[in-house]
Amino acid sequence: MPAPRDQPVLVATGIHRHFEGMHAVDGVDVEVLSARITGLIGPNGAGKSTFLAVLAGTLPASSGKIVFEGEDITRLPAYQRARRGLVRTFQLPSEFAQLTVLENLLVAAQHHRGDSLLGALLGKRYWIDDERRLVAEARALLKRFGMTAKESDYAGTMSGGQKRLIEIMRALMLKPKVLLLDEPMSGVHPRVVQEIQRYLESLRDEGYTILMVEHELHMVERLCDSVYVMAQGKVIGSGTMASLRRQREIVDAYLVG
Amino acid sequence: MNLYVAALGFGLISVSVISIAAVGFTMQFGITNMINLAYGEVMMVSGYAAFYANQAGVNIWVALIPGALVGAVLSFLLNRFLYAPFQRKGTNLIGMVIISLAASLMIANVMLPIVGYYTSSYVVDQGPLLRSNGLVLTTAQIAIIAVAVILMLGVHGLLRYTRLGKAMRATAANPTLARNCGIPTQRVIDVVWLITGALCGVAGVVAGMNSENFSVASGAGYLITIIAAAVLGGAGQPYGAMIGALIIGIVTELSAAAIAPEYKEVVAFAILVLVMVLRPQGLLAKRGALAAAG
Amino acid sequence: MNSYYAATLLVYAGVDIIACLALNLQFGVSGIVNFSFIVFQAIGAYTAAVLSMPPDTAYGGYQSYVGGFQLPFPIPWIGGALAGGLLAIPVGLVVLRKLRTDYQAISLLVLSVIANSVITNVRPFLNGAAGIAQVPGPFSDQVDPLSQSYQLLYVGLTIPCVLLVWLVASRIVNSPFGRSLRAMREHELAASALGKNPVQLKMTIFIVGGIIGGLSGAILVGFIAVVAPSIWLYPETIILFAAVIVGGRGNNLGAILGALLVPVGFEEATRLIPPTIGGWVPPPNLIPAMQWVAIGLLIIGFLWFRPQGVRPEQRRVFEGAPIREDSNDARPA
Repeated sequence: MPAPRDQPVLVATGIHRHFEGMHAVDGVDVEVLSARITGLIGPNGAGKSTFLAVLAGTLPASSGKIVFEGEDITRLPAYQRARRGLVRTFQLPSEFAQLTVLENLLVAAQHHRGDSLLGALLGKRYWIDDERRLVAEARALLKRFGMTAKESDYAGTMSGGQKRLIEIMRALMLKPKVLLLDEPMSGVHPRVVQEIQRYLESLRDEGYTILMVEHELHMVERLCDSVYVMAQGKVIGSGTMASLRRQREIVDAYLVG
Repeated sequence: MNLYVAALGFGLISVSVISIAAVGFTMQFGITNMINLAYGEVMMVSGYAAFYANQAGVNIWVALIPGALVGAVLSFLLNRFLYAPFQRKGTNLIGMVIISLAASLMIANVMLPIVGYYTSSYVVDQGPLLRSNGLVLTTAQIAIIAVAVILMLGVHGLLRYTRLGKAMRATAANPTLARNCGIPTQRVIDVVWLITGALCGVAGVVAGMNSENFSVASGAGYLITIIAAAVLGGAGQPYGAMIGALIIGIVTELSAAAIAPEYKEVVAFAILVLVMVLRPQGLLAKRGALAAAG
Repeated sequence: MNSYYAATLLVYAGVDIIACLALNLQFGVSGIVNFSFIVFQAIGAYTAAVLSMPPDTAYGGYQSYVGGFQLPFPIPWIGGALAGGLLAIPVGLVVLRKLRTDYQAISLLVLSVIANSVITNVRPFLNGAAGIAQVPGPFSDQVDPLSQSYQLLYVGLTIPCVLLVWLVASRIVNSPFGRSLRAMREHELAASALGKNPVQLKMTIFIVGGIIGGLSGAILVGFIAVVAPSIWLYPETIILFAAVIVGGRGNNLGAILGALLVPVGFEEATRLIPPTIGGWVPPPNLIPAMQWVAIGLLIIGFLWFRPQGVRPEQRRVFEGAPIREDSNDARPA
């Protein structure tokens, strides 16, 4: 990803999301800079996951604007945002359980000749080259993340940490411009957490852009270049963790050491 | 104009029948997350229970009791020995729908050899006619409306003012949280199926009273209107089901007068489709009821 | 074995196999619970009928239906298939876009009930409750439909259709497109987060299933020469669901196996029940009722003990994959 660092690649302005009278997101402005890991933290119920879902297109914004790489994507459905490189993961495990680990990665194909009805009907010979190329790419990712041996195992039988890795690898297959990670460490064994941390850092160093909702403050301190703090649907502060600690209101509202 | 006033009268009775049934159905969904497609069949079985009591000389109004009992017991058993085990096993929503459909088929086909294919009807003394503003109803029909009103008030009272009702609402909103607060959710669920089963039973008898005749095949017909009313009002919302029943009951009877009586169910279906397309959460949405793909 | 019986068995098997392959594509592979499947078979049958029948005024006009174009084979069969596909478009657009899966299932179920009721009540359209009878089969004007040669001919027409449908289903299931469908079945939200358009996937496979279902209806009506609402009541779909669940979801061999075990095997087995059992004559209609109870038990039994079916969906191992350790034979619940 040869993108320059610190460019505002994803800009959300005035995002509101209300449903049945509840204002889950109540006027949020966020700017995600390229080749950086941005954190999104806050107490339970602050609206972080909802906001992430709105960015990803899983939920529609009630009002506001989202600009991705200069294009207004506010009205675009989730799958189109993914195709443009805005890819999210989920808080709860979301692997394709009855597909193998390799197949999970292969699903994330773009422009695969065999991925349409017509392509399928034309038979294997028509799409086998694309498939071979894709399998090689996927295997390279599996190797990098240490899951080569699990290639043909059902994703549903993997451990929590392995499922997280599968989700991250899946997203990477799309060569995403921005990765939206929803609590990537939750439910994961502490040892695996360290692994995932190292992977995220190396991704950032390679130039990937990440926006991460996370609970664990130590994690956020280590990983995130900058952080937005949300509470009750609004952003109550942003900047580096160090500068945030100095702001009394924020500490009171949320940070407990 | 008289035709429509009369249709309105029929509408009121329809509303009564549908509301008793729909409230039970929607509570089953709200509290146990179960779309009980066998509901119509349980209504039919209860209707037959009352029929046999009626044949044995019991007054049809008294026969409401065996009807309610059969409905309660059958629904309870259905949940205890079929639905709950599968839910505990982690079967997904679709699997549960398929299972309840299989159950409905089995119940109907067990009844067939027992009661036969032909139609049956109750012995009901309609009583004197009562007139008001062009509306003409028999005493029996007024009684049906009264039964519905009493039951609706009963459900309202139960939900709002009793401990059980509060426990039911808590279990519906968040079962894990309810359990953690010390609510015996398993017992609550059992009671819910007994109560809603009783409603189902009464609805089956009352539906039989409201039609010229009924048969084993009636079960499926009931189900469509009930689903329409429940979804219209908001799945899982008892008050919504009452409103849904009101709208469906009146609209289907008016359209029966305007178009033809055979298409009552088609109208209910059309309303169902419209609701699902335009406002799938229904009129009184349960928070999060329509969240992510089921 | 009586050759008429053998031919009947083969044609019925062919029709059921085709139907199960279609339902498997919709339900087993893509997770669409199409409780209205039988309506698509019915529309195929009705379309083939009205395309091949003479105008309804013929023979004294005792039947009343639209169409009557007396078209020769293969137009009625193609028409039946197309009708199935065309019906899938409005139904799919209404039901498959915004609803959660259990609402989809219920809407389709209700549609099935209503469609049957409407066709029964609107007599001039498709001859109401009586249905359309004396439907001419393909080449029935050249070969005597009552002869043995016609039976052979019909089997000879059915088998290539089965093979064609199997080929199509195979190519779909074993392709990256099939993989996207399965991913959507497993976790629709995650699939759309990876760039898959769930509505387009669902509509596509719903239409394909509709086309194949329509074809099965056209083949059936040409053979039994009649189509009526009593043949396509909503529970008929359940038999096909039972077949797909028993045989094995998500894979074509499973669907074929299910078709042979349930609609075919089951029917034939109950045919062997003697008219009296130790002197007791079962009341009429007891056997069909018990068949339905057995179908229900089959579904519930399999969903409890073996939800993946007799032949489960196979694990896909790609060429050049590392050798798997034996302990990793687990499959998710």
